[in-house]
Amino acid sequence: MTARTIGLLSPPLIAVVDDDEAMRHALSELLEVIAMNCRTFERAEAFLASYAPGIFDCLVTDLRMPGMSGLELLRELKARNSSLPVIVVTSSTEPESRKQVVESGAFAYLIKPVSDERLIRYLKAALARMQ
Amino acid sequence: MFHKQELPHQLEKGRPSRESGEGATDMRLADLASESVIVCDAEGVIRYWNPAAEALYGWPALATIGQQMDELFAGHDLHAGHWRQLLQEGTWQGPVQRRTAAGLPLTVSIRQTVRYGASGVPHDVVEYGRGNQLAIVRDGMSERSEPYRATAACWELDMSEARASIEQIVALADGDVIGHLKRNPDRLDQLLSRSRIVNVNEKAVRLFGGNADREAMIARPILNYWPTECRHVLAELLVAVLTQLAWRITQTRALNASGSLQEASVAAWRSLDGSRADKIYLMVNGVVGDDRSAWELHASEDRYRKLIHHMPTALWQVDARPAGEVFERLRSEGVTDISSFLEAHPELIELAKDVVRVTEVNREAVSLLHGRNAADLVKPVRYLFAATPKLANRVMVAHFEGRRNYIEQAKVFTFDGQARDVVFSVTYPTPPEQLDTTFITMLDVTERLRTEAQLQRLEADHAHAARISTLGELATSIAHEVKQPLAAIVTNAETSLRWLSRDDFNIAKIRQLTTRIVSSAHRANDIIQRIRSLAARETPERVPLDLGDVAEEALFFVRHDIEFKRITLSINTAPSLAQVLGDRVQLQQVIVNLLVNSIQAVSQPGRPARRIWVSIEAIDGGAVLFSIRDSGPGIAEDNLNRIFESFFTTKVGGVGIGLAICQSIVRAHGGCIRASNHAGGGAHFWFSLPGMSSSTERPMESIGP
Repeated sequence: MTARTIGLLSPPLIAVVDDDEAMRHALSELLEVIAMNCRTFERAEAFLASYAPGIFDCLVTDLRMPGMSGLELLRELKARNSSLPVIVVTSSTEPESRKQVVESGAFAYLIKPVSDERLIRYLKAALARMQ
Repeated sequence: MFHKQELPHQLEKGRPSRESGEGATDMRLADLASESVIVCDAEGVIRYWNPAAEALYGWPALATIGQQMDELFAGHDLHAGHWRQLLQEGTWQGPVQRRTAAGLPLTVSIRQTVRYGASGVPHDVVEYGRGNQLAIVRDGMSERSEPYRATAACWELDMSEARASIEQIVALADGDVIGHLKRNPDRLDQLLSRSRIVNVNEKAVRLFGGNADREAMIARPILNYWPTECRHVLAELLVAVLTQLAWRITQTRALNASGSLQEASVAAWRSLDGSRADKIYLMVNGVVGDDRSAWELHASEDRYRKLIHHMPTALWQVDARPAGEVFERLRSEGVTDISSFLEAHPELIELAKDVVRVTEVNREAVSLLHGRNAADLVKPVRYLFAATPKLANRVMVAHFEGRRNYIEQAKVFTFDGQARDVVFSVTYPTPPEQLDTTFITMLDVTERLRTEAQLQRLEADHAHAARISTLGELATSIAHEVKQPLAAIVTNAETSLRWLSRDDFNIAKIRQLTTRIVSSAHRANDIIQRIRSLAARETPERVPLDLGDVAEEALFFVRHDIEFKRITLSINTAPSLAQVLGDRVQLQQVIVNLLVNSIQAVSQPGRPARRIWVSIEAIDGGAVLFSIRDSGPGIAEDNLNRIFESFFTTKVGGVGIGLAICQSIVRAHGGCIRASNHAGGGAHFWFSLPGMSSSTERPMESIGP
């Protein structure tokens, strides 16, 4: 596994998976304003197709999506022994959902609508862990 | 002397010779003759019998035509060989001793003339006769009754169906038939209801028929026409005639009818023709000075009273002649627009309410208005209009305009002050009917209206409760739908703030973000509106709808579930479908319900493929069919016919009102809903709704449930 070097000149690359276009747009704008790079995916399958260890520094994903769900994506990454930190941003408040997500190795479980500060805090923490 | 021949059937039933063929004109003239006129064929079979002959002998034409003359007048004093001599000589004249139908001796001066055919063969014999009145008086018959023989009412009855009744009565009566029949009115009615009228003469129609004409009486049981108070006499007479051995004995009974008919009698005899042993002739004679006599009126009024008294509809008989007279006067004064005239002269209506009177009411009317007895209701009509005063105007306008009927739904007050909803219907007399008989009927619909309103409210409440329950099932999906735009709004707004707080803020970026905020806010609002509409408790209304649009709207609620559960949904909407008249929310509810059921069915663990097929198409008769099929496990055969029952459910935690509500909604829209298992597996639900043609388009209106 090749670790990607994080330095001042190379901003982190964040993957965003959400079936809702407005949400993908909003997250990419936020990441831009805090000087992070971003690639967005409408479906988990599309992200997996682009995924290889070391490309992304963090993954922000929704849970309820058509096709592969966020939870399945987490489990797939775990199965591949991925060390990519995953921040789940979801509208689901069910404790069972949170439990499953955490057990599947997610870095954080945030409930929509999530404040920018909170998201940025978790993003930074996730990136720090990668280093 | 005369050889007996088989009688042609049709001749026994009336006076065919008068109605058709040769000699018809002669016969019509002979009808008017004051002498008795009897025409026999060359064999002595009676072919024509005029009214004067009926009067003289008491036998109706009905009973004599087709009979041998010498059988009818057995024992009259013409010598043996008279007939042969007559045919040879062509004419004979002289007095003969005969008997009347009642068995009384009668001297008649007759004149017989033979008419010959073209070849010189005797064709028929015409006999003119004049009775000797003195003979009758001398024989002690009532002076009064005999001249009225012409009023004899004659009947021919078919007793074949009554045979069994008669045998039973004879077996049980133990010699006292009258007593037995009085004790067993059911058996009496049974006998008379099985005694069918084959033929009646005009007199019988006039005396007994009430409103019926001859055609109406034929084939009906005599029970329908015979006066109630002397039914047992008739029944006993019929038993006596049918059980006696001799053919020729005429049985006569006095009728214990009231009024001027105290001296009426009824005679009965069997057909002389052995092949018609089941036929009985009846003849009623009495003192009937006037065709519309007391008995007739009594008999028909009696029937009529019974009829209206037992009618299940409340009925008022009203004498509206005073109103009719006023109308005549108004017409002669040139009034044409009665409606405006009455508006200008309300005093006329008030007057009419006092001078137009109820003359008779039935039991149901007393009960409807909570009266103590009929007398409470037999008075001026004012009380009928107390709860709906303007109804009197409309009833009078319809009367003036010469309409036959007037109907409206109105309110009336009962005598104990309650308001009832009734269908108020007036039937006016038209000349030359009796002008004093205007009928008012009322059908109490209070309970029906109340129940219908309650039922509608209840069904709307149920439908609403079911929608809330469905929305509950969809809560996760709906929460996601609402939160998605809100989350985007929050993130975009915060990103904008970050740009604003920077020195190098990007105005274009901020504009773009703000535009997205607005668009997401609209989206959130739209979602909330949709949920509100399904959750709201609105009065259902019918508007023209495209069922395809309704289905699209319904899909909104389950779209997320379908995507999340990776269900493949195919929708096939036929082009240019007819619109349906319906309540948008309720029809959405039906489709959402069916979709939710299918989603749950295909999502059960172990289903290989998750598929739902929806189609909307036109079917025969312009109806629109919505059909949904899924790849779920299908419906257990045992449950198929219970699936639309309330509180039937196979779901854990289900209430079992969803499909029941679907059914009541679809039915209220004039459609039907069905469930089955598809041959290719899975459940198949479909409902059809009547399509609108341009002629059925109507403005919005309230419907249930």
